[in-house]
Amino acid sequence: MSAAPAPLVDGAKKNYLLALREAIFEEMESNPNMLCLGEDIGILGGAFGVTDGLQLRYGRDRVIDMPISEAAIVGVGCGMALNGKTVMAEMQFIDFISCGFDQIVNMTATFHYRTAGDVNINMVIRGPAGGYGGGALYHSQMNEAWFCHSPGLKVVCPSTPKDAKGLMKSALRDGNPVIFYEIKELYRRRDLEEFVPEGEDALIPLGKARIAREGESITIVTYGQNVHHCLEAAKKLDAEGFSAEVIDLRSLVPLDEETILESLKKTSRLLVVNEAPMTCGFAGEVLARMSQNAFELLDAPPARITRMDTPVPWVKPLELHVLPSVDDILQAALRICRY
Amino acid sequence: MEQYVAKSPSSESSKMSSDPAAPDLQPRSALTPDDRKELLKQLYLARYFDVRLIKEKKRGRLRGTLYSSHNQEAIIVGSLFGLKGTDWISPIHRDMPAFFMKDMRAGWRNPDRIGMSVQEVCAQVWGKATSPGRARDNWSHIGSRAKRIICSTSMLAGTIPAAAGVVYADRLDGGDAVCLTFNGEGSTAQGVFHEAVNFAAVRKLPVVTIIENNQWAYGTPVRDSLPEGLESFAGRAAGYGIPGYIADGQDVLDVYDKVMTAVNRARSGEGSSIVECISFRAYGHGDHDDDRAARYRREFYGDRWEEVIAEERERDPIAVMKRHLVGLGEMTAEEAKLMPAEGKSAMEVNDLDFPEDVVKYLNEGVEFAVASPPPPAEEGSMWVFKEGGR
Repeated sequence: MSAAPAPLVDGAKKNYLLALREAIFEEMESNPNMLCLGEDIGILGGAFGVTDGLQLRYGRDRVIDMPISEAAIVGVGCGMALNGKTVMAEMQFIDFISCGFDQIVNMTATFHYRTAGDVNINMVIRGPAGGYGGGALYHSQMNEAWFCHSPGLKVVCPSTPKDAKGLMKSALRDGNPVIFYEIKELYRRRDLEEFVPEGEDALIPLGKARIAREGESITIVTYGQNVHHCLEAAKKLDAEGFSAEVIDLRSLVPLDEETILESLKKTSRLLVVNEAPMTCGFAGEVLARMSQNAFELLDAPPARITRMDTPVPWVKPLELHVLPSVDDILQAALRICRY
Repeated sequence: MEQYVAKSPSSESSKMSSDPAAPDLQPRSALTPDDRKELLKQLYLARYFDVRLIKEKKRGRLRGTLYSSHNQEAIIVGSLFGLKGTDWISPIHRDMPAFFMKDMRAGWRNPDRIGMSVQEVCAQVWGKATSPGRARDNWSHIGSRAKRIICSTSMLAGTIPAAAGVVYADRLDGGDAVCLTFNGEGSTAQGVFHEAVNFAAVRKLPVVTIIENNQWAYGTPVRDSLPEGLESFAGRAAGYGIPGYIADGQDVLDVYDKVMTAVNRARSGEGSSIVECISFRAYGHGDHDDDRAARYRREFYGDRWEEVIAEERERDPIAVMKRHLVGLGEMTAEEAKLMPAEGKSAMEVNDLDFPEDVVKYLNEGVEFAVASPPPPAEEGSMWVFKEGGR
């Protein structure tokens, strides 16, 4: 039996998880055509509680506890969306999304293209992602590059409660399939709690980056959990006499190149950070685009800090060894600033 | 090595179908002589479409691969005949005629019927801008929400989840639509087949999963995809707690009977079913495979080869239907000899073997396709994303 739903909008500061939950409740409330599917999202309220109370409020027909099958969650959601529904499909962990891969990249992502615009799939596929929490190989992944590489999908990854809510609401209205990376290590972080706007005021457009911190010496481009690592590194850079501008991409597809270019005009130095593995990762994409489009703005070779090209191991020393650390970011930034 | 060939079933072989002692419960008993005449006509039409494409392809006029539906027309025609226009279908590569045969009972040329026109389907095959999908993906990969056809991919069994989602949404909106999904027997081995059929069974969704068992999954015979101890692919239904019907895929009346039993059951809220239609594949997997298929099939059947070929020709769906009509007194033995398209390969028939109106109807489609322009090149980069929100 699920707990009674907490008040939807109570004006209190919200953590990342509650902000997401509020976005889903608000959209379910205002859009009677919206359905939610996932494993354990109904009676349990989701493994992390993002959908806590949702089924109690909207019933079994609209909030569907699915058999353990990511392919069915995505494929059934795709069918609902092709027949006019808005769909929120939860992956219990974003790692499990690989079990639904074909249904995402071949069936869902290409529907609009294949039908020459006749059908569009208004669906958000969301799930908890990211390392640094001891989740080990299959509960720590950031596999966003797979989907950035699959035309027809938008890819989003917020780093704050406000962005989590605003981007989720926009994603559920976007008209396209959106893969939504929630950072589970941020779900309940107290220091990130903030006042989150209600209703339409909460909307944040996809494809618009956020300047998380202004600076003059170097542009650090990142997203998700690494935003907070980069902000920490930026503080330490201050002590070394360099001010870093930290750009939180928020959306990877579409990518806000404009905001990065504007920043580079000011800083002429670029570091890109992500916690996914290096090879063919999104950091490489940002570097490639900026090398091509902003070469003449740069005063130093741009660089990236990523996870090593390894899985994410379980115990803490191993995990921290392969993931980017604040110090990794700091040292790389110093090298670029001092070039 | 023992060689496995699924035996041609008679209608008695069906499991869980209506009691034969109570024929009034069989959907086919409600068919009129005119319906049966129409069914034969539609079999000719499906055959003519395939034959025509085979010839056009051999002349180098078509791009891509042709997956012939030759000898499997009874599955397409019999499955679609009893559907409502508002029902959904998801045909696959070997069901090309299904796209224009959906809701055909509403009138072949009726612009309001909820199926694609033969013009649209030919335009797709010819790769023209007038195709419903503007020729962006090939051949059978077309769909339309308004026509209630799910656009499939090349990943087989991959549309069954969408079928479940479509009817789930329809039911929430107060509709009574059923969705027929077409699948080869080979695709029953896919994980997504199980995952979707299971979900549809759990939620009692009006999904009818048709398995076209044509004995060959590309180059793999049934022997190598059906576990010993399971007599049929429909037998898998027991594991989902749903009915599994077996139809003689060469007999349009038997296909109609079993599919409509499943459809009626689905529409009344009793849930999903599997219908296995046992058939033969006349050619290769695709036309690129015809020459090799002639060899590997011959090797596989060994001494039985001549017998298998003779049986396939004898059990041509057009021949089977003609025998029904003669038996029912709705066609004389003399009339049955007219328009002898049955039992012949595509290169052995000509237009005179088909009803005139069938040839004329298809010509309208081909002429439209040939006269249509190709899509402009710049469309290749359009419609990746929908603009402007949901």
